[in-house]
Amino acid sequence: MPIDDALRALADPTRREILRLVRDDERAVKDIAERFDMSRPAISQHLRVLEDASLVAARKDGTRRLYRARPETVTELIDDLGAMWDDSLARLKQLAEQEEWPSRARRTNRPSNGDDDA
Amino acid sequence: MPDTLEREIRIAAKPETVFRYLTDSDALSEWMGDSAELEPTPGGQFLVRYESGDTALGEFSVVEPYTRVVFTWGWKDNAGIPPGSSSVEITLAEDEGDTLLNLRHSGLPHADALKEHGEGWDHFLAGLATCAAA
Repeated sequence: MPIDDALRALADPTRREILRLVRDDERAVKDIAERFDMSRPAISQHLRVLEDASLVAARKDGTRRLYRARPETVTELIDDLGAMWDDSLARLKQLAEQEEWPSRARRTNRPSNGDDDA
Repeated sequence: MPDTLEREIRIAAKPETVFRYLTDSDALSEWMGDSAELEPTPGGQFLVRYESGDTALGEFSVVEPYTRVVFTWGWKDNAGIPPGSSSVEITLAEDEGDTLLNLRHSGLPHADALKEHGEGWDHFLAGLATCAAA
């Protein structure tokens, strides 16, 4: 499931930091690696995980690969969270209403004292 | 990037009924998670276990019968969104026999937190959606 990939990718603090770096600027691996106390292959590995999770996109520029964040994935994830709350609250609503339904039904169905609502 | 999610719904039930679903362990686990251990008193535990094996952990900070519940929220053993790192406030207002429920999930300071957050809700809400549709 794509969202799981994104969440797993984000569980690592280095990858979160990388994502922040490429959020507004397109950057090469070398540029990114310089900011970390980590080898370039290690950074490349992190970038691959982010790319697989659709959190960054890469393009070739000569011999370099340039990375940038894909904000649409972030937006999707936030939308999902909102939708999840909607679903759970809908469930809560259903449960609470079911619980009170018998007493409400009795109230509603009580003879209406001569009111003719037919 | 927003740091707060807000939702409002109308429920055709009394605030007393809805409040129980927020504070009673068995009732809460009917709409959220697999099992819960709630101590609905300020400083008391908010713990929800999910079928996925994840555990949401927090602490109640406000418990005002039938009107307001606030608890901190995070994932146990998750550095991205640890227990206590965000806050959920739910208020209940009686309106013509119904309850207006407002939910604010705040303290999601950056997009990363929001993104990681989705994972947890996903686990239980997927299940809830199935139940609700049944």
